[in-house]
Amino acid sequence: MLMERLILAAMWLFGFVGFFLFVPRKDRRKGLLAFMVFQSFIWLCDMPSFKYGLLSAPVREFPKATDLSITINYFFYPILFSIFYVRRRVKTALWSKFIYFAGWISGISLFDVVLERYTDLLEYGSLTGYGMWIYIAILFLVSQFCCNWFFKDKSLFQAERVEPHEN
Amino acid sequence: MRIEYWLLLSAYPIGMAILFFIPKNKIRLAVVAFLFTQLITFLLGLVVVELGLLQYPVRFFASINRASFTYEYFFLPVICALFNARYPSNRSTLIQCGYYIGYTSILTISEILFEKYTDLIKYINWEWYITWVTVCLTFYLTRILSLWFFSKGKVL
Repeated sequence: MLMERLILAAMWLFGFVGFFLFVPRKDRRKGLLAFMVFQSFIWLCDMPSFKYGLLSAPVREFPKATDLSITINYFFYPILFSIFYVRRRVKTALWSKFIYFAGWISGISLFDVVLERYTDLLEYGSLTGYGMWIYIAILFLVSQFCCNWFFKDKSLFQAERVEPHEN
Repeated sequence: MRIEYWLLLSAYPIGMAILFFIPKNKIRLAVVAFLFTQLITFLLGLVVVELGLLQYPVRFFASINRASFTYEYFFLPVICALFNARYPSNRSTLIQCGYYIGYTSILTISEILFEKYTDLIKYINWEWYITWVTVCLTFYLTRILSLWFFSKGKVL
């Protein structure tokens, strides 16, 4: 129990530090939007996943109010997506985009699998580590698609007009 | 099916219909307001249930989530999106205050009615004016964030 609590606290700490460290000042808006979009999708997808027993979270923050994990869903993975989204290179070869994407997804799935195996924070039901990879990949793709739509038309987005991006 | 489920289900088409009242050039503003409201209400909604202040006897995803998914994830964010997209920023302070009071009061009154006549929500250690204040504050916070998000000024 203590270890799980420490890990959750570490996620909050590293999440905040990571956001301010890896999301450049001029991209804060972009980062925040990516964070919120991902957060919204992961809630929507995790509701049925938890309901139908794909996975569960035995140790969690609000055991009475919800069976879902708050820190992971609400904060940590959205932060990771936000860093992923802001740091990705747009004008680059397709294979390098794919490696970047696959690297992030594999890293997060690996982290998830380790959490599942060595702690009580997550417990897979009918989900496998391989399934988690696909699950996170879909979440990333959909969120990225929505964020791209949001920032598509630069004239509509005033912050972009003032500070053009170089990526 | 109980009347409560029909009410919950009807929140979705009504919410969708409300989205059509958002002007086309304000869609991005509405998206930011919608997402930011979710960020606030989802967490606070869980906190108040965890602390035992409120109960939602009839709800979706009942086995895993004791807060109201429909209201916190969808309906209130939609209302907040409309609130921000149609905000009368060029009008007098009086009208702006009235705008806040109007939205907040309509939501609060409907919540009181739901509390009284249905099983959708039950107050335990809660009063209607707490709803009023928290909803008003949510509107205010989303408005502040949206203003910052679309401002030309310095970032953070």
